[in-house]
Amino acid sequence: MNDTTILEAVDLRKAYGHGLQRMPILDGIDFRVRKGDFVSVVGPSGCGKTTLLMALAGLSQPDTGEVRFRGQPVTQPPQGLAVVFQDYSRSLFPWKTARENVIFAMRDTAQKTRQERRDRADELLAAVGLKEFAQKYPWQLSGGMQQRVAIARGLASESDLLLLDEPLAAVDAQTRADMQDLILELAQRFDQTCLLVTHDVDEAVYMADKVIVLSRRPTSVATEIPVDLGKRRDQLATREQPGFLHARHEVMERIRSYRSQMAG
Amino acid sequence: MIPLRKPADYAPILMPLIVVAIWALAAASTSSPLFPGPAKVAQAIWHNFSTIMVQLGATLTRVVIGFAVAAAITVPLGIMLGRLRIIGQLFEPVMDMLATLPPPAIVPLVMLFAGTGDAAKITMIAFAAAIPLLMNTYEASKTQNEMANLVARSLRLSRFETMLRVDLPAALPMIATGVRMAVAAALLVSVTSEILLATDGIGVFLQRQQENFQIAGGLAGIFFISLTGLVVNTLILAFEKRWLFWHYRAQEDAK
Ligand SMILES: Nc1ncnc2c1ncn2[C@@H]1O[C@H](COP(=O)(O)OP(=O)(O)O)[C@@H](O)[C@H]1O
Ligand SMILES: [Mg+2]
Repeated sequence: MNDTTILEAVDLRKAYGHGLQRMPILDGIDFRVRKGDFVSVVGPSGCGKTTLLMALAGLSQPDTGEVRFRGQPVTQPPQGLAVVFQDYSRSLFPWKTARENVIFAMRDTAQKTRQERRDRADELLAAVGLKEFAQKYPWQLSGGMQQRVAIARGLASESDLLLLDEPLAAVDAQTRADMQDLILELAQRFDQTCLLVTHDVDEAVYMADKVIVLSRRPTSVATEIPVDLGKRRDQLATREQPGFLHARHEVMERIRSYRSQMAG
Repeated sequence: MIPLRKPADYAPILMPLIVVAIWALAAASTSSPLFPGPAKVAQAIWHNFSTIMVQLGATLTRVVIGFAVAAAITVPLGIMLGRLRIIGQLFEPVMDMLATLPPPAIVPLVMLFAGTGDAAKITMIAFAAAIPLLMNTYEASKTQNEMANLVARSLRLSRFETMLRVDLPAALPMIATGVRMAVAAALLVSVTSEILLATDGIGVFLQRQQENFQIAGGLAGIFFISLTGLVVNTLILAFEKRWLFWHYRAQEDAK
Protein backbone atom coordinates (compact mmCIF):
# COMPACT_ATOMS: atom_id res chain seq x y z
CA MET A 1 0.00 0.00 0.00
CA ASN A 2 1.09 3.48 -0.84
CA ASP A 3 1.54 5.52 2.38
CA THR A 4 -0.35 8.48 1.05
CA THR A 5 -3.45 6.31 0.67
CA ILE A 6 -5.93 7.24 3.38
CA LEU A 7 -8.95 5.23 2.29
CA GLU A 8 -9.18 2.08 0.30
CA ALA A 9 -12.16 0.06 -0.90
CA VAL A 10 -11.35 -3.52 -1.81
CA ASP A 11 -13.91 -5.52 -3.76
CA LEU A 12 -16.91 -4.25 -1.80
CA ARG A 13 -20.08 -6.20 -2.41
CA LYS A 14 -23.45 -5.73 -0.86
CA ALA A 15 -26.96 -6.95 -1.58
CA TYR A 16 -30.25 -6.06 0.05
CA GLY A 17 -33.00 -8.58 0.71
CA HIS A 18 -32.96 -12.34 0.77
CA GLY A 19 -33.93 -15.19 -1.50
CA LEU A 20 -35.91 -14.12 -4.54
CA GLN A 21 -35.98 -10.58 -3.28
CA ARG A 22 -32.21 -10.40 -3.09
CA MET A 23 -30.97 -7.40 -4.99
CA PRO A 24 -27.24 -6.96 -5.47
CA ILE A 25 -26.34 -3.27 -5.17
CA LEU A 26 -22.57 -3.07 -4.88
CA ASP A 27 -20.83 -5.53 -7.14
CA GLY A 28 -17.13 -5.28 -6.47
CA ILE A 29 -16.10 -1.70 -5.77
CA ASP A 30 -12.38 -0.95 -5.78
CA PHE A 31 -10.70 2.41 -5.42
CA ARG A 32 -8.27 4.43 -3.37
CA VAL A 33 -8.32 7.91 -1.99
CA ARG A 34 -5.01 9.70 -1.48
CA LYS A 35 -4.52 11.96 1.50
CA GLY A 36 -5.27 15.55 0.63
CA ASP A 37 -7.29 14.72 -2.46
CA PHE A 38 -10.81 15.77 -3.21
CA VAL A 39 -12.50 12.77 -4.80
CA SER A 40 -15.97 12.76 -6.36
CA VAL A 41 -18.01 9.64 -6.76
CA VAL A 42 -20.62 10.08 -9.45
CA GLY A 43 -23.46 7.75 -10.27
CA PRO A 44 -27.18 7.92 -11.02
CA SER A 45 -29.80 8.01 -8.26
CA GLY A 46 -30.44 4.62 -6.76
CA CYS A 47 -27.17 3.10 -7.94
CA GLY A 48 -25.98 2.59 -4.37
CA LYS A 49 -23.98 5.71 -3.55
CA THR A 50 -25.38 6.00 -0.05
CA THR A 51 -24.94 2.27 0.45
CA LEU A 52 -21.30 2.64 -0.54
CA LEU A 53 -20.77 5.62 1.72
CA MET A 54 -22.27 3.81 4.72
CA ALA A 55 -19.85 0.95 4.16
CA LEU A 56 -16.91 3.35 3.82
CA ALA A 57 -17.94 5.06 7.07
CA GLY A 58 -18.14 1.79 8.97
CA LEU A 59 -21.86 2.31 9.50
CA SER A 60 -22.80 -0.84 7.64
CA GLN A 61 -20.88 -3.96 6.84
CA PRO A 62 -20.36 -5.03 3.24
CA ASP A 63 -21.22 -8.65 2.47
CA THR A 64 -17.69 -9.24 1.27
CA GLY A 65 -14.69 -7.09 0.66
CA GLU A 66 -13.01 -4.62 2.93
CA VAL A 67 -12.69 -0.95 3.65
CA ARG A 68 -9.33 0.21 4.94
CA PHE A 69 -8.88 3.55 6.61
CA ARG A 70 -5.25 4.50 7.17
CA GLY A 71 -4.42 0.89 6.44
CA GLN A 72 -6.70 -0.49 9.15
CA PRO A 73 -9.78 -2.56 8.28
CA VAL A 74 -12.96 -0.65 9.04
CA THR A 75 -15.53 -2.55 11.08
CA GLN A 76 -16.84 0.31 13.23
CA PRO A 77 -16.94 4.03 12.50
CA PRO A 78 -13.26 4.90 12.91
CA GLN A 79 -11.89 7.96 14.61
CA GLY A 80 -10.71 10.53 12.11
CA LEU A 81 -13.53 10.00 9.67
CA ALA A 82 -16.61 12.22 9.59
CA VAL A 83 -19.83 11.93 7.62
CA VAL A 84 -22.20 14.59 6.33
CA PHE A 85 -25.42 12.71 5.66
CA GLN A 86 -27.67 13.14 2.66
CA ASP A 87 -30.71 13.56 4.87
CA TYR A 88 -29.22 16.52 6.68
CA SER A 89 -32.44 17.95 8.09
CA ARG A 90 -33.04 14.77 10.06
CA SER A 91 -29.39 14.38 10.94
CA LEU A 92 -29.49 17.50 13.13
CA PHE A 93 -31.02 17.20 16.59
CA PRO A 94 -34.05 19.46 16.91
CA TRP A 95 -33.56 19.85 20.66
CA LYS A 96 -30.13 21.34 20.18
CA THR A 97 -29.20 24.75 18.81
CA ALA A 98 -26.86 25.00 15.83
CA ARG A 99 -23.98 25.55 18.23
CA GLU A 100 -24.93 22.60 20.43
CA ASN A 101 -25.29 20.39 17.38
CA VAL A 102 -21.76 21.29 16.33
CA ILE A 103 -20.41 20.79 19.85
CA PHE A 104 -21.99 17.34 19.90
CA ALA A 105 -19.31 16.18 17.47
CA MET A 106 -16.43 17.29 19.72
CA ARG A 107 -16.01 14.13 21.70
CA ASP A 108 -12.48 13.05 20.98
CA THR A 109 -11.15 16.46 20.09
CA ALA A 110 -8.62 18.84 21.60
CA GLN A 111 -11.28 21.18 22.98
CA LYS A 112 -12.06 20.01 26.47
CA THR A 113 -13.61 22.87 28.37
CA ARG A 114 -17.06 24.21 27.72
CA GLN A 115 -15.65 27.55 26.64
CA GLU A 116 -13.14 26.03 24.23
CA ARG A 117 -15.87 23.99 22.59
CA ARG A 118 -18.14 26.95 22.33
CA ASP A 119 -15.44 29.06 20.73
CA ARG A 120 -14.55 26.32 18.31
CA ALA A 121 -18.21 25.78 17.36
CA ASP A 122 -18.66 29.50 16.78
CA GLU A 123 -15.52 29.57 14.67
CA LEU A 124 -16.82 26.72 12.52
CA LEU A 125 -20.27 28.26 12.23
CA ALA A 126 -18.62 31.52 11.16
CA ALA A 127 -16.62 29.55 8.58
CA VAL A 128 -19.86 28.28 7.03
CA GLY A 129 -21.39 31.75 7.18
CA LEU A 130 -23.71 31.15 10.12
CA LYS A 131 -22.09 33.33 12.72
CA GLU A 132 -25.36 34.97 13.70
CA PHE A 133 -27.29 31.71 13.83
CA ALA A 134 -25.42 29.83 16.56
CA GLN A 135 -28.34 30.09 18.96
CA LYS A 136 -30.99 29.10 16.44
CA TYR A 137 -32.58 25.69 16.35
CA PRO A 138 -32.39 23.63 13.15
CA TRP A 139 -36.11 24.05 12.52
CA GLN A 140 -35.62 27.81 12.51
CA LEU A 141 -33.13 27.55 9.65
CA SER A 142 -33.58 27.08 5.91
CA GLY A 143 -32.55 23.83 4.24
CA GLY A 144 -29.29 25.31 2.96
CA MET A 145 -28.46 26.64 6.41
CA GLN A 146 -29.18 23.29 8.01
CA GLN A 147 -26.83 21.69 5.52
CA ARG A 148 -24.12 24.16 6.49
CA VAL A 149 -24.63 23.34 10.18
CA ALA A 150 -24.23 19.67 9.26
CA ILE A 151 -20.99 20.51 7.43
CA ALA A 152 -19.74 22.51 10.41
CA ARG A 153 -20.50 19.51 12.59
CA GLY A 154 -18.60 17.30 10.15
CA LEU A 155 -15.58 19.56 10.55
CA ALA A 156 -15.94 19.73 14.33
CA SER A 157 -14.79 16.18 14.94
CA GLU A 158 -11.35 17.17 13.63
CA SER A 159 -11.20 14.25 11.31
CA ASP A 160 -8.88 13.85 8.34
CA LEU A 161 -11.43 12.40 5.98
CA LEU A 162 -14.83 13.91 5.31
CA LEU A 163 -17.47 11.86 3.50
CA LEU A 164 -20.19 14.01 1.95
CA ASP A 165 -23.34 12.33 0.68
CA GLU A 166 -24.98 14.50 -2.01
CA PRO A 167 -24.74 17.57 0.19
CA LEU A 168 -26.06 19.90 -2.47
CA ALA A 169 -28.79 17.81 -4.05
CA ALA A 170 -31.58 19.82 -2.48
CA VAL A 171 -30.42 23.43 -2.89
CA ASP A 172 -31.08 25.90 -5.70
CA ALA A 173 -28.55 26.57 -8.45
CA GLN A 174 -27.03 29.78 -7.11
CA THR A 175 -26.71 28.45 -3.56
CA ARG A 176 -25.29 25.32 -5.05
CA ALA A 177 -22.43 27.12 -6.77
CA ASP A 178 -21.69 29.09 -3.59
CA MET A 179 -21.74 25.94 -1.50
CA GLN A 180 -19.41 24.13 -3.90
CA ASP A 181 -16.85 26.88 -3.44
CA LEU A 182 -17.46 26.94 0.30
CA ILE A 183 -16.83 23.20 0.61
CA LEU A 184 -13.65 23.48 -1.47
CA GLU A 185 -12.43 26.35 0.66
CA LEU A 186 -13.22 24.51 3.91
CA ALA A 187 -11.46 21.36 2.68
CA GLN A 188 -8.32 23.43 2.14
CA ARG A 189 -8.56 25.47 5.29
CA PHE A 190 -9.27 22.55 7.62
CA ASP A 191 -6.96 20.19 5.80
CA GLN A 192 -9.61 17.64 4.93
CA THR A 193 -9.41 14.83 2.48
CA CYS A 194 -12.88 14.74 0.96
CA LEU A 195 -14.97 12.12 -0.74
CA LEU A 196 -18.07 13.68 -2.24
CA VAL A 197 -20.90 11.60 -3.59
CA THR A 198 -23.07 13.24 -6.24
CA HIS A 199 -25.24 12.47 -9.24
CA ASP A 200 -24.26 15.73 -10.95
CA VAL A 201 -21.42 15.28 -13.45
CA ASP A 202 -20.48 18.97 -13.65
CA GLU A 203 -20.30 19.19 -9.88
CA ALA A 204 -18.24 16.01 -9.67
CA VAL A 205 -15.66 17.37 -12.10
CA TYR A 206 -15.65 20.94 -10.78
CA MET A 207 -14.94 19.89 -7.21
CA ALA A 208 -12.55 17.01 -7.64
CA ASP A 209 -8.96 16.01 -8.21
CA LYS A 210 -10.31 12.64 -9.27
CA VAL A 211 -13.74 11.47 -10.39
CA ILE A 212 -14.81 7.90 -9.73
CA VAL A 213 -17.56 6.97 -12.17
CA LEU A 214 -19.91 4.24 -11.02
CA SER A 215 -21.56 1.83 -13.39
CA ARG A 216 -25.26 1.20 -13.32
CA ARG A 217 -26.60 -1.36 -10.87
CA PRO A 218 -25.22 -3.80 -9.80
CA THR A 219 -22.61 -1.15 -9.26
CA SER A 220 -18.88 -1.29 -9.77
CA VAL A 221 -16.31 1.37 -10.62
CA ALA A 222 -16.64 2.04 -14.34
CA THR A 223 -13.60 4.27 -14.56
CA GLU A 224 -11.53 6.79 -12.69
CA ILE A 225 -10.85 10.11 -14.33
CA PRO A 226 -8.14 12.41 -12.98
CA VAL A 227 -8.90 16.13 -13.08
CA ASP A 228 -5.71 18.15 -13.30
CA LEU A 229 -6.97 21.62 -12.61
CA GLY A 230 -5.05 22.43 -9.43
CA LYS A 231 -6.64 23.27 -6.12
CA ARG A 232 -7.94 26.71 -6.99
CA ARG A 233 -11.25 26.57 -8.80
CA ASP A 234 -13.42 29.28 -10.17
CA GLN A 235 -17.04 28.92 -11.18
CA LEU A 236 -16.47 30.70 -14.49
CA ALA A 237 -12.85 30.16 -15.46
CA THR A 238 -12.53 26.55 -14.35
CA ARG A 239 -15.62 25.46 -16.20
CA GLU A 240 -14.18 26.87 -19.43
CA GLN A 241 -10.76 25.26 -19.15
CA PRO A 242 -9.91 22.49 -21.63
CA GLY A 243 -9.00 20.17 -18.75
CA PHE A 244 -12.46 20.61 -17.25
CA LEU A 245 -14.24 20.11 -20.54
CA HIS A 246 -12.13 17.09 -21.35
CA ALA A 247 -12.77 15.39 -18.01
CA ARG A 248 -16.45 16.23 -18.20
CA HIS A 249 -16.62 14.78 -21.69
CA GLU A 250 -15.02 11.54 -20.58
CA VAL A 251 -17.37 11.13 -17.62
CA MET A 252 -20.40 11.88 -19.76
CA GLU A 253 -19.31 9.49 -22.45
CA ARG A 254 -18.85 6.73 -19.95
CA ILE A 255 -22.27 7.31 -18.44
CA ARG A 256 -23.85 7.50 -21.90
CA SER A 257 -22.42 4.15 -22.84
CA TYR A 258 -24.39 2.70 -19.92
CA ARG A 259 -27.52 4.48 -21.02
CA SER A 260 -27.33 3.13 -24.55
CA GLN A 261 -26.68 -0.33 -23.13
CA MET A 262 -29.83 0.03 -21.11
CA ALA A 263 -31.85 1.21 -24.05
CA GLY A 264 -30.45 -1.57 -26.23
CA MET B 1 -47.93 49.62 35.75
CA ILE B 2 -50.87 47.43 34.80
CA PRO B 3 -50.90 46.64 31.06
CA LEU B 4 -54.12 47.33 29.18
CA ARG B 5 -56.07 44.16 28.62
CA LYS B 6 -58.14 42.99 25.72
CA PRO B 7 -61.68 41.77 26.49
CA ALA B 8 -60.59 38.27 25.46
CA ASP B 9 -58.20 38.20 28.41
CA TYR B 10 -61.15 38.33 30.78
CA ALA B 11 -62.94 35.37 29.23
CA PRO B 12 -61.34 32.67 31.42
CA ILE B 13 -62.33 34.61 34.54
CA LEU B 14 -65.74 35.62 33.29
CA MET B 15 -67.05 32.15 32.59
CA PRO B 16 -66.53 30.75 36.12
CA LEU B 17 -68.07 33.94 37.53
CA ILE B 18 -71.18 33.43 35.44
CA VAL B 19 -71.41 29.80 36.50
CA VAL B 20 -71.06 30.73 40.16
CA ALA B 21 -73.70 33.42 39.77
CA ILE B 22 -76.21 31.03 38.19
CA TRP B 23 -75.39 28.46 40.84
CA ALA B 24 -76.00 31.01 43.61
CA LEU B 25 -79.33 32.03 42.10
CA ALA B 26 -80.44 28.43 41.66
CA ALA B 27 -79.46 27.51 45.20
CA ALA B 28 -81.21 30.55 46.63
CA SER B 29 -84.43 29.75 44.76
CA THR B 30 -84.62 26.14 46.02
CA SER B 31 -83.18 26.78 49.50
CA SER B 32 -82.87 23.02 50.09
CA PRO B 33 -80.07 21.83 52.42
CA LEU B 34 -79.23 19.26 49.76
CA PHE B 35 -78.40 21.99 47.27
CA PRO B 36 -75.93 24.36 48.93
CA GLY B 37 -74.97 27.62 47.26
CA PRO B 38 -71.45 28.96 46.77
CA ALA B 39 -71.52 30.74 50.12
CA LYS B 40 -72.26 27.50 51.96
CA VAL B 41 -69.47 25.73 50.12
CA ALA B 42 -67.07 28.56 50.92
CA GLN B 43 -68.07 28.19 54.54
CA ALA B 44 -67.50 24.46 54.38
CA ILE B 45 -64.07 25.04 52.91
CA TRP B 46 -63.30 27.39 55.77
CA HIS B 47 -64.45 24.92 58.41
CA ASN B 48 -62.87 21.84 56.93
CA PHE B 49 -59.74 23.41 55.57
CA SER B 50 -57.25 21.68 57.88
CA THR B 51 -59.01 18.31 57.59
CA ILE B 52 -59.10 18.60 53.82
CA MET B 53 -55.41 19.48 53.70
CA VAL B 54 -54.42 16.54 55.89
CA GLN B 55 -56.55 14.12 53.86
CA LEU B 56 -55.42 15.55 50.57
CA GLY B 57 -51.85 15.24 51.81
CA ALA B 58 -52.38 11.54 52.51
CA THR B 59 -53.87 11.08 49.05
CA LEU B 60 -51.13 12.96 47.25
CA THR B 61 -48.39 11.14 49.13
CA ARG B 62 -49.72 7.87 47.79
CA VAL B 63 -50.16 9.36 44.31
CA VAL B 64 -46.55 10.52 44.28
CA ILE B 65 -45.21 7.19 45.53
CA GLY B 66 -47.40 5.18 43.18
CA PHE B 67 -46.48 7.34 40.24
CA ALA B 68 -42.77 7.21 41.06
CA VAL B 69 -42.85 3.42 41.35
CA ALA B 70 -44.67 3.17 38.03
CA ALA B 71 -42.27 5.53 36.27
CA ALA B 72 -39.17 3.83 37.68
CA ILE B 73 -40.36 0.51 36.31
CA THR B 74 -42.14 1.40 33.07
CA VAL B 75 -39.84 3.99 31.54
CA PRO B 76 -36.79 1.72 31.38
CA LEU B 77 -39.03 -1.25 30.55
CA GLY B 78 -40.75 0.64 27.75
CA ILE B 79 -37.45 1.74 26.27
CA MET B 80 -36.13 -1.81 26.47
CA LEU B 81 -39.24 -3.34 24.87
CA GLY B 82 -39.12 -0.78 22.08
CA ARG B 83 -35.49 -1.66 21.48
CA LEU B 84 -35.87 -5.41 21.48
CA ARG B 85 -38.36 -5.67 18.67
CA ILE B 86 -39.33 -9.30 19.08
CA ILE B 87 -39.99 -9.16 22.81
CA GLY B 88 -41.85 -5.89 22.31
CA GLN B 89 -44.13 -7.49 19.74
CA LEU B 90 -44.77 -10.37 22.12
CA PHE B 91 -45.87 -7.95 24.81
CA GLU B 92 -47.91 -5.67 22.58
CA PRO B 93 -51.21 -7.63 22.87
CA VAL B 94 -50.77 -7.85 26.63
CA MET B 95 -50.27 -4.10 26.85
CA ASP B 96 -53.30 -3.48 24.65
CA MET B 97 -55.41 -5.69 26.90
CA LEU B 98 -54.22 -4.01 30.07
CA ALA B 99 -54.80 -0.59 28.52
CA THR B 100 -58.52 -1.25 28.17
CA LEU B 101 -58.89 -2.66 31.68
CA PRO B 102 -60.50 -0.14 34.08
CA PRO B 103 -58.03 0.09 37.00
CA PRO B 104 -60.72 -0.37 39.72
CA ALA B 105 -61.36 -3.81 38.25
CA ILE B 106 -58.14 -5.04 39.80
CA VAL B 107 -59.19 -3.97 43.31
CA PRO B 108 -60.30 -7.44 44.48
CA LEU B 109 -57.10 -8.99 43.20
CA VAL B 110 -54.94 -6.35 44.82
CA MET B 111 -56.83 -6.73 48.11
CA LEU B 112 -56.13 -10.43 48.02
CA PHE B 113 -52.39 -9.88 47.85
CA ALA B 114 -51.84 -6.48 49.40
CA GLY B 115 -54.78 -6.10 51.78
CA THR B 116 -56.55 -2.79 52.11
CA GLY B 117 -53.82 -0.56 53.47
CA ASP B 118 -51.47 1.93 51.87
CA ALA B 119 -49.66 -0.80 49.97
CA ALA B 120 -52.86 -1.84 48.19
CA LYS B 121 -53.74 1.72 47.22
CA ILE B 122 -50.24 2.48 46.05
CA THR B 123 -50.26 -0.70 44.00
CA MET B 124 -53.48 0.35 42.29
CA ILE B 125 -52.20 3.85 41.63
CA ALA B 126 -48.95 2.49 40.26
CA PHE B 127 -50.89 0.11 38.03
CA ALA B 128 -53.11 2.86 36.68
CA ALA B 129 -50.15 5.14 35.99
CA ALA B 130 -48.01 2.35 34.58
CA ILE B 131 -50.23 1.61 31.59
CA PRO B 132 -50.10 4.98 29.79
CA LEU B 133 -46.46 5.43 30.78
CA LEU B 134 -45.49 2.05 29.43
CA MET B 135 -47.48 2.40 26.21
CA ASN B 136 -46.10 5.81 25.39
CA THR B 137 -42.49 5.04 26.28
CA TYR B 138 -42.70 1.85 24.27
CA GLU B 139 -44.11 3.63 21.22
CA ALA B 140 -41.53 6.40 21.51
CA SER B 141 -38.68 3.95 21.80
CA LYS B 142 -39.99 1.84 18.94
CA THR B 143 -40.28 4.75 16.53
CA GLN B 144 -36.68 5.77 17.02
CA ASN B 145 -35.10 8.07 14.54
CA GLU B 146 -32.80 5.97 12.43
CA MET B 147 -30.94 8.99 11.13
CA ALA B 148 -30.18 10.28 14.62
CA ASN B 149 -28.81 6.88 15.53
CA LEU B 150 -26.54 6.85 12.51
CA VAL B 151 -25.20 10.23 13.57
CA ALA B 152 -24.59 8.94 17.07
CA ARG B 153 -22.80 5.88 15.76
CA SER B 154 -20.64 7.83 13.34
CA LEU B 155 -19.63 10.04 16.27
CA ARG B 156 -18.72 6.87 18.11
CA LEU B 157 -21.13 7.21 20.99
CA SER B 158 -21.57 4.08 23.10
CA ARG B 159 -24.95 2.34 23.22
CA PHE B 160 -25.61 3.79 26.63
CA GLU B 161 -24.62 7.31 25.62
CA THR B 162 -26.81 7.05 22.55
CA MET B 163 -29.76 6.05 24.70
CA LEU B 164 -29.16 8.89 27.12
CA ARG B 165 -28.25 11.69 24.72
CA VAL B 166 -30.19 10.80 21.59
CA ASP B 167 -32.97 8.30 22.21
CA LEU B 168 -34.17 9.77 25.48
CA PRO B 169 -34.52 13.39 24.30
CA ALA B 170 -36.16 12.17 21.10
CA ALA B 171 -38.62 10.13 23.15
CA LEU B 172 -39.39 12.80 25.74
CA PRO B 173 -42.36 14.44 23.98
CA MET B 174 -44.16 11.13 23.82
CA ILE B 175 -43.17 10.19 27.35
CA ALA B 176 -44.55 13.55 28.48
CA THR B 177 -47.89 12.66 26.90
CA GLY B 178 -47.75 9.43 28.88
CA VAL B 179 -46.96 11.36 32.05
CA ARG B 180 -49.96 13.61 31.58
CA MET B 181 -52.27 10.65 31.11
CA ALA B 182 -50.63 8.78 33.98
CA VAL B 183 -51.06 11.67 36.42
CA ALA B 184 -54.74 11.93 35.55
CA ALA B 185 -55.17 8.19 35.98
CA ALA B 186 -53.25 8.17 39.27
CA LEU B 187 -55.43 10.93 40.74
CA LEU B 188 -58.59 9.19 39.62
CA VAL B 189 -57.60 5.83 41.00
CA SER B 190 -56.30 7.21 44.28
CA VAL B 191 -59.65 8.83 45.07
CA THR B 192 -61.57 5.78 43.87
CA SER B 193 -59.42 3.40 45.89
CA GLU B 194 -59.97 5.47 49.01
CA ILE B 195 -63.69 5.34 48.57
CA LEU B 196 -63.52 1.57 48.13
CA LEU B 197 -60.91 0.81 50.79
CA ALA B 198 -61.56 3.57 53.27
CA THR B 199 -58.98 4.57 55.88
CA ASP B 200 -57.79 8.06 55.10
CA GLY B 201 -57.37 10.42 52.17
CA ILE B 202 -59.55 12.92 50.39
CA GLY B 203 -61.75 10.16 48.99
CA VAL B 204 -62.58 9.09 52.55
CA PHE B 205 -63.31 12.69 53.43
CA LEU B 206 -65.71 12.88 50.50
CA GLN B 207 -67.47 9.74 51.58
CA ARG B 208 -67.82 10.86 55.21
CA GLN B 209 -69.33 14.14 54.08
CA GLN B 210 -71.73 12.34 51.83
CA GLU B 211 -72.73 9.86 54.53
CA ASN B 212 -73.55 12.75 56.83
CA PHE B 213 -75.42 14.62 54.11
CA GLN B 214 -72.81 17.37 54.22
CA ILE B 215 -73.16 18.21 50.57
CA ALA B 216 -71.36 21.52 50.96
CA GLY B 217 -68.44 19.73 52.62
CA GLY B 218 -68.35 17.21 49.80
CA LEU B 219 -68.26 19.98 47.25
CA ALA B 220 -65.46 21.62 49.19
CA GLY B 221 -63.47 18.40 48.88
CA ILE B 222 -64.21 18.18 45.18
CA PHE B 223 -63.10 21.77 44.78
CA PHE B 224 -59.68 20.90 46.17
CA ILE B 225 -59.34 17.79 44.04
CA SER B 226 -60.00 19.85 40.91
CA LEU B 227 -57.58 22.46 42.15
CA THR B 228 -54.92 19.78 42.56
CA GLY B 229 -55.51 18.56 39.03
CA LEU B 230 -55.24 22.11 37.75
CA VAL B 231 -51.98 22.74 39.60
CA VAL B 232 -50.45 19.47 38.41
CA ASN B 233 -51.47 20.17 34.83
CA THR B 234 -50.01 23.64 34.99
CA LEU B 235 -46.76 22.21 36.31
CA ILE B 236 -46.59 19.68 33.50
CA LEU B 237 -47.32 22.34 30.90
CA ALA B 238 -44.60 24.55 32.36
CA PHE B 239 -42.19 21.65 32.19
CA GLU B 240 -43.10 20.97 28.56
CA LYS B 241 -42.71 24.62 27.66
CA ARG B 242 -39.30 24.69 29.25
CA TRP B 243 -37.93 21.36 27.98
CA LEU B 244 -39.97 20.32 25.01
CA PHE B 245 -40.66 23.58 23.22
CA TRP B 246 -38.43 22.37 20.38
CA HIS B 247 -40.85 19.56 19.68
CA TYR B 248 -43.96 21.71 19.48
CA ARG B 249 -42.23 24.53 17.63
CA ALA B 250 -40.66 22.17 15.13
CA GLN B 251 -44.08 20.63 14.52
CA GLU B 252 -45.65 24.04 14.02
CA ASP B 253 -42.92 25.05 11.59
CA ALA B 254 -43.35 21.86 9.62
CA LYS B 255 -46.97 22.75 8.90
N1 LIG C 1 -31.99 -0.74 3.77
C1 LIG C 1 -32.31 -1.07 2.52
N2 LIG C 1 -33.01 -2.19 2.27
C2 LIG C 1 -33.35 -2.55 1.01
N3 LIG C 1 -33.04 -1.84 -0.07
C3 LIG C 1 -32.35 -0.70 0.09
C4 LIG C 1 -31.96 -0.25 1.40
N4 LIG C 1 -31.29 0.91 1.26
C5 LIG C 1 -31.26 1.17 -0.06
N5 LIG C 1 -31.90 0.22 -0.76
C6 LIG C 1 -32.03 0.15 -2.21
O1 LIG C 1 -30.74 0.08 -2.74
C7 LIG C 1 -30.61 0.90 -3.87
C8 LIG C 1 -29.48 1.88 -3.70
O2 LIG C 1 -29.81 2.81 -2.68
P1 LIG C 1 -28.89 4.02 -2.31
O3 LIG C 1 -27.57 3.50 -1.84
O4 LIG C 1 -29.61 4.88 -1.34
O5 LIG C 1 -28.70 4.76 -3.70
P2 LIG C 1 -28.22 6.24 -4.03
O6 LIG C 1 -27.67 6.84 -2.78
O7 LIG C 1 -27.21 6.08 -5.11
O8 LIG C 1 -29.42 6.99 -4.53
C9 LIG C 1 -31.95 1.58 -4.08
O9 LIG C 1 -32.64 0.87 -5.10
C10 LIG C 1 -32.63 1.42 -2.76
O10 LIG C 1 -34.02 1.29 -2.95
MG1 LIG D 1 -28.17 8.49 -1.69
